[in-house]
Order: sequence, then C-alpha cells, then structure tokens
Amino acid sequence: MIKFEFVGLRYGVGPEVLSDINFTLEPGSFHFLTGASGAGKSSLLSLMYLGRKPTRGLVSMFGQSINTLERKQLWSLRQRIGVVFQEFRLLPHLSAFDNVALPLRIMGRPEKETRNNVNELLEWVGLGDYKNALPQTLSGGQQQRVAIARAVIGRPKLLLADEPTGNLDDEIGFRLMNLFEQLNRMGTTIVIATHNQSIMDQFGHSRLILEMGNLRVEESRSSLRRKIEGVY
Amino acid sequence: MRIFGKDRKLGVAINRGRYDLPLNKDEGTNFLRLLIALMSFLAAMALTGSFALDAMTQRWSSGLENKLTIEIPAEMKDGTLRAPADIQTLARQVEAVLRNEPAVKSVEILDDADIQELVEPWLGKDAPLSDIPLPGLISVELNQSTPEDMAKLTNDIGIIDPEIVIDTHEAWLQSLLRMISSLRFAAFVVVTIIAATTITAIAGAIRSRIAVHKADVELLHLMGANDEYIIRQFQRHALMIALQGSLLGTLAAIVVLLTVKYATGENAATLLPTFNVHIVHGAAVAALPLMACLIAALTARFTVLRSLSLMP
Repeated sequence: MIKFEFVGLRYGVGPEVLSDINFTLEPGSFHFLTGASGAGKSSLLSLMYLGRKPTRGLVSMFGQSINTLERKQLWSLRQRIGVVFQEFRLLPHLSAFDNVALPLRIMGRPEKETRNNVNELLEWVGLGDYKNALPQTLSGGQQQRVAIARAVIGRPKLLLADEPTGNLDDEIGFRLMNLFEQLNRMGTTIVIATHNQSIMDQFGHSRLILEMGNLRVEESRSSLRRKIEGVY
Repeated sequence: MRIFGKDRKLGVAINRGRYDLPLNKDEGTNFLRLLIALMSFLAAMALTGSFALDAMTQRWSSGLENKLTIEIPAEMKDGTLRAPADIQTLARQVEAVLRNEPAVKSVEILDDADIQELVEPWLGKDAPLSDIPLPGLISVELNQSTPEDMAKLTNDIGIIDPEIVIDTHEAWLQSLLRMISSLRFAAFVVVTIIAATTITAIAGAIRSRIAVHKADVELLHLMGANDEYIIRQFQRHALMIALQGSLLGTLAAIVVLLTVKYATGENAATLLPTFNVHIVHGAAVAALPLMACLIAALTARFTVLRSLSLMP
C-alpha cells in the first residue's frame, strides 16, 4: 500500500525535518502515528497524502512509484486517499452537506448517490440537523465531524487523520474510532496521527513513532501475534 | 437531476448555484465587470469608426471614379481676369471637343446655380457671385479612364487654351485615402490595445483570486480534483463577468451611436458618409460580447493552469 525508502524532506534550504524514513504499510492495516510536537507528524502525513514530494528517497503508493509519476497521474491516487486535517480545512462558504459532498462531486459520482450517502453519513456522525449550517456556525467538535465525514465519504483506500479526536468528547471520540475500525475492516488502511495515549492503548494498533525526524515502528500486540502464528 | 448534473460539470456546488470557491462574492468583481464594459464600449466605438471610414472610402472612390472636372481659370497666368463671356465661349469650345470624343460618356457645363451650390458651404447662401470672379467648370464623365484617352483629352483641350486645367481628383483623393487608411490602422491599434488591456485585467484578477483562495484551491487539489475541475470554476466566473460587462458596454455603445446618428441627422449628410448598419458590421459589433467571453475564458484558463502547474 505505502512504502517509504530512505525518504528525507526539507523545506527550502533548511535542515531535514524527516530523515531516512523507512516503513511499509500493508493494505488494510491500522496505524497510529505519534511523536512529540514538531517531530514531523504533519510533514510525514503531507507526504502520504501527496501534498508534497520528498526531497530524497523513494515513495511508493498503491503500488506506484510517486517519484516517477506525472502530475496528472497523481489526481486519481489522491482520490483514493481521505484526509482529516488538524485544522479541518472546511470550505467556509459551503454548508456542512456541500463540504462532505465535495469528494464525491470531484469524483463525478451521480448527484442522487451523493445526496443519499452524504445524508446518511451526516446522520451517522450526529449532524443530520446541521446539513445546511455553514462551518463557522458549528462548534469545533461539529466541524471536526464534518471534516471526518468528508474524509471517509468516498470510501478511501487510505485514510489519514491528523489528531481527529482532539476536539471531541470521549464518547464521540470513541464512536469515531469505531467508524475508523469499521472502515479498516472494510479494507481501508488507516493512519491516525495522535497524542492520545488512552486511545492508542485502547485500540492497540501498531505505532509509527517519530522522534526528531526519524521513524521507529512499534508493532501492535495483534500484529505480533499474527506474525508469531505465521511462524509456528 | 439534469440540472444537478450540469451544475456539477461546471464545478458548482449543486442546486444553489454556488461555486466550490466563492469567486462570485470576491471584491473587485464589479470593478472587473465595469472595466470590461468600458473596454467593450471603446471596442464597439472603434469598430464602428473603422466601418464608417470604410464607407467613406467607398463613397468617395466610387463617386469620383471615371470623373473629371475641367476648370477654365477666371484669372490668367499674367494676372488679367477673363470676362464671363470669354469663359462661356471657351466652355462651349471644350464641350464641343469633348462631345466628339468616344471616351466621353457625358459632359455638363456647370451654370451659376450649380457653382452657387458648390461654394455655398464656404461662402453662405446669399453670396454675391456677380462680384466674385468665378472659373468655368465642366463636369465630365468618361466611359473608361485609360491613360491614352486622358493624354488625347489633355492635348485637345490644350489646343483650345493651354491654361485650362483638367482635374482628375486623383491627387487629393489619394491623400484622403492615405489619411483614412491611417485612421483605420489607428482603430485597429485601439482594438488591439483594448484586447490586450482586457486580457491583462482578467489575468490579474484571476491571479489575485487564486492568491485569495490559495488554501481552498490546494484543498480541492489534494482531494484529487483534476486541473479541469478547478479551471472550470474560474473560467465560468470570468466568462459570466465578461458576458455581463461586454453586453452592457456594447449596448451602451449602440445607444450612443444611434443617438449620434439621430442628433446629426441630415446636417452631416453632405460631408460624412451615411451611417447605415450593414449586416456584416452589425454582426461584428454583436460578436463583441462573444469575443470578450472567449478572451476572458481563455485568459482565465491559461492563468489558472499556470498556477496549478506549480502544485505537486
């Protein structure tokens, strides 16, 4: 699904914010991306959602090498990725409905299907009554749910979320994590950048730990168990 | 459903006629619309002026083709004045020679009333012609003006009196046509400058809108929107502004031109060409809004495309 080999990233002529990043994410896997503030989580996510190209190293997404693909070939790859941005990045002049519908419209899905799916998802995230509300009239938690709904509406193959439960109370946070689990069970690869230790402990997926621009992979108990069962 | 489908193709957020990007709410939209209106107005005026010059050229050229005027000067080279009776006699002799020439189609000696009419614009209606030494004028129309015919006519008339002048109008007509040609070139330059200004203004406006909505454009890009999807929004926006502005400007120009036509009425009819709207000219002016839309859409397209190409 995703393969990073000796990937480095620097902004302009500054120092490398990511150095020699090596990891592979299998299709249908679930990972937490964690690390101290400024460790490079958002930079690594931006490489994964094809928001920028690495300064060095090789990146492979969905079996294709990003380094050699043309701009036009990246469009369809991006449509397979759902992103929940830390600052939500909702379009302020569009209603919650239109914000969530955006990925489907970009993909050119039929409007009837779009309406049904968006209405269903907004109901599910508890925003059925706020379909026509503009983002600035919603609370932080509601905006975040709109952002999450927008990220998952297109059934992405890869879902990247930057602190998705940061503004939510525990109950909603738990429900959303269950949504991610559900998506994961349907085959979506999930990477969630978070500081939330309790969620990481509770869901027990493998961790990509960023420290000073370097990445360390900590396997989950379940994946270790799977590996051991595979050996014996 | 079809409306939704159409809207989606235009990159508009479903049935509310919204853009994914709020371009129609941006500051400067009215200014751009007004600028395009003014440019269209000027283009329509320049175009109409060019057509009027065309008409003028045609009228003067066709009016004087195969025609010449023979003048028997009232004052001889030695300074003495000819008696009106002598002028009449010479005129009759010239007329007699001309009538025997096969190249000549018609001959007419202008009488005092004709001459009065000719000098009326300069001397007024009640000018005392009897006090002014007037030349004898003979208007001649040829079947076909060949150099050989002209040489024979000049020779025959020179025998009657070498001081008789044959005016083929060629000299002043040529200078007039040169001047008109210069004016038409100036009109072309004006239209070109107008088009260039419009392109620059639209490109600048689109660039500023891209800068204002950079984060939103990036977001659409990150969601997998292809260049065409994003371009369509800017293109449609520019096209709508250009359509509104150019229609306004062109209509204003038509109103002004019709007002000028009715205000001048018959007064200018003798000197200026008749301002009749030819179907081709009308179509050219009517096509101005379409041209403005085309310029706006293409300018927006290439400006946005250039900005998008800088994104990964």
